[in-house]
Amino acid sequence: MSTDTKAPAADQPDAGETPEAKPSFMRLFGRYLTEANSVMVTIYSLILAFLIGAILLIVSDEYVRSTYTYFFARPQDALSASWYLVRDSYIALFEGAVLNLNTLDRFAAGTAEFGDLLRPLSETLTYATPLIFTGLAVGLAFRAGLFNIGAQGQMIFGMLGALIIGFSFSLPAVIHLPLAIIAGAIAGAAFGAVPGVLKATTGAHEVISSIMLNNIAGLFLVWAIGTGFLHSETKSDLITKPVDESAVMPKLLSGLSESLRVNWALPLGIAAAVFTWWLLSRSTFGFRIRAVGFNEHASATAGMRIGSTYVTTMAVAGGLAGLAGAALSLGVGSSGITTNTALEYGFDGITVALLGRANPGGIVAAAILFGALKAGALSAQPDVPVDISTLLQAIIVLFIAAPALVKAILHLRTPRGGLVTLEAKGW
Amino acid sequence: MAVDTMTSSPAVVDESVPTRFIKPGTAFSVLGLLLIVIAFAVVSTGDTTTIAFDRTLTDVEWALPTTACVAVLGAIAAAAGAWMLVGLPKRRLKLVSAVAVTAFVLGLLFWAYSQPGTVFRAESILAGALFLSLPYLFGALSGVVCERSGVINIGIEGQFLMGAFTGVLVANVTGNVYAGMVGAMIAGLLSTMLLALLATKYQVNQVVVGVILNLLALGFTSFMYDQLKKAEGLNSAFSVPTLSWGPLADIPVLGPVLFQQKIFVYIGLALVFVVWFLLYRTRWGLRTRAVGEHPAAADSMGVNVNRLRFWNVTLAGLISGFGGAWFTIANSLAFGKNMTAGLGFVALAVMIVGRWNPLGVLAGALIFGFTTQVARDLDASGGSVVPGEFLQMLPYVVTLVVVAGLIGKAKAPAADGVPYNPGDK
Repeated sequence: MSTDTKAPAADQPDAGETPEAKPSFMRLFGRYLTEANSVMVTIYSLILAFLIGAILLIVSDEYVRSTYTYFFARPQDALSASWYLVRDSYIALFEGAVLNLNTLDRFAAGTAEFGDLLRPLSETLTYATPLIFTGLAVGLAFRAGLFNIGAQGQMIFGMLGALIIGFSFSLPAVIHLPLAIIAGAIAGAAFGAVPGVLKATTGAHEVISSIMLNNIAGLFLVWAIGTGFLHSETKSDLITKPVDESAVMPKLLSGLSESLRVNWALPLGIAAAVFTWWLLSRSTFGFRIRAVGFNEHASATAGMRIGSTYVTTMAVAGGLAGLAGAALSLGVGSSGITTNTALEYGFDGITVALLGRANPGGIVAAAILFGALKAGALSAQPDVPVDISTLLQAIIVLFIAAPALVKAILHLRTPRGGLVTLEAKGW
Repeated sequence: MAVDTMTSSPAVVDESVPTRFIKPGTAFSVLGLLLIVIAFAVVSTGDTTTIAFDRTLTDVEWALPTTACVAVLGAIAAAAGAWMLVGLPKRRLKLVSAVAVTAFVLGLLFWAYSQPGTVFRAESILAGALFLSLPYLFGALSGVVCERSGVINIGIEGQFLMGAFTGVLVANVTGNVYAGMVGAMIAGLLSTMLLALLATKYQVNQVVVGVILNLLALGFTSFMYDQLKKAEGLNSAFSVPTLSWGPLADIPVLGPVLFQQKIFVYIGLALVFVVWFLLYRTRWGLRTRAVGEHPAAADSMGVNVNRLRFWNVTLAGLISGFGGAWFTIANSLAFGKNMTAGLGFVALAVMIVGRWNPLGVLAGALIFGFTTQVARDLDASGGSVVPGEFLQMLPYVVTLVVVAGLIGKAKAPAADGVPYNPGDK
């Protein structure tokens, strides 16, 4: 993702104004708040998304809709019904993601453990973990000017790779666990390299080829789980063998409570983010990635091999998505994986990378936010439709990708240096 | 990429001089020989492939010896490949390639339907192929209208979802299935209007926003699906009647394929010619193509580039929204989460196969429809040697091959995906 300055001259703030006396802090702060800089655009995107989400909750709820039929006779009914619906829905999301107020009461009364109190947060981090990896997979490719939609498929192959190594051997955990994780990364990298190779050799756009590979991987997973090699020996439904105990990803907080699912994949994800940051900003390869992403023709003229950069970038991205798969396979513990284990972490990685603006630090933060949305939505269903998390995510990143829209809706001022937008590319 | 296509000028070649085509020649020769090997090594000698005319001439069944048929078809493909290797006039290349591909595909079909219990029900399969080609056709036509004016529409998948969902909802609310179709079109229009606004006024990255709009449509329709499930009778299946054209419907093969279909088929076929006519025979079409190839030139001739793009993309939503109604109304299904299953993206591949031309799109859509239909039929018959999941992968694999094999040669409109800012000149 490269920054691009597009500021029509008329919108330039204070252009040509003579410097006045030093403005007060409050004034500067106020100016910052009403400016479409990337921090404020992010904040406003979140606010707008939750507002739109509230409206959709209201119009789609049958009972609340019925109160609107007599709005002009008794407006307070409709308004209070709307308010309680939105409030209850968002509180339910909050309780599932951050802190359950009920448990807090019980904790205060002494009937709940401290571990119970941490459960929603543990869930949030559990869902955030794969998102960190898939977000990095999309974000890294973004920096090379590649739109990697294929994280879902790469993750599925990572799942299978880690699973196969995980159940095939019984080794000491210090060897087995890393081996299974690496297997996941390699499987993901191999699958991820395919769109890169296709783009480098034939010019096929990575968006279409990686979408097709996602569909292929999804069907492959359904088939693979059913085969005798992978299928569970004890259960009849579509589930695989579990990984050997020595390859199970250990839980992070098992000392506090066994029900806290967050495991060591989370620190691994943060390590992956640090690695990606180092790769992008401190290594020669990262320089090549960013140069190609910024201007491939100039990079080619400077002697960089564009094709091989595409292939290696996609392979590394695939490897990161493969790690998400490994984290899932090895994290489910004593049960095997099903067609449902992958959820939509790969697709959510796209929104994570966009919200994190393809920066490793931003991606970790975005992954935790969207992990929280997912944990909240899953715990609040069926009172709140579970897809509210997808919906809110999509609205948020739509605004992030189109900051001019936020600027227009809220009448914000253009910041010095222009809006941060994405560089456009054709087929 | 836009820049490359601008600089390459067409070389003047005498088309009647024999030329060698090494790559396709080798490929077809190898594939043809492979078929011959299959015919003798894999197929048992007594196997037959049965072809039936199941709708009109129900008592006719042709049982053909599989080995001989596959071997002959393989020989034809190999011979075509050999001719390319030896050298053939360039103007014959298309025809010879078409013959080679057809022979190879038919050979595979003869092999696939040689298992006992499988019958190639020619009329049902061809009629089904035409019907299944429709989502690809509508999606790709919508893509053509957008991309010919220089806006990439990756959001077709999302427009399908919105159309599929809204179609059923409106049909349920009004009780009229045709109102549902109109509702689907309007839903598609509103979705593309957002893309059009972002692409022209706000000049965002069209691919990124297209993908986000897909996620938005997926989230929105799934969310609404869960919410509306609580209320009764908002997501019941509606269907349209199959139109039968009297005596024409009884013609063998042609009757069931062309004269016994739902209204979607006729609208789809008509649209191909309408879009073709509009693009190549009207002022609007000329302007659209000009804006897609060289917006600055069109601008200097007085065309408002961004306004034209805005309306083209917005109106293309009518087509993809209607395509969405195919998933629910034409198939007599209620809406289901993510029921479009990536076909919107396959439609983009069809658009590329069809080289951004409505007639080419029709041919591409038919090929994809046929592949999908055969895969489904083999899967359902249970006589297939290949697992069902792999058969379902076929359209995706074909898309991959097509996109990889054609994209360099099939040229996108030069300004496709590049936002136009009149101030940048």
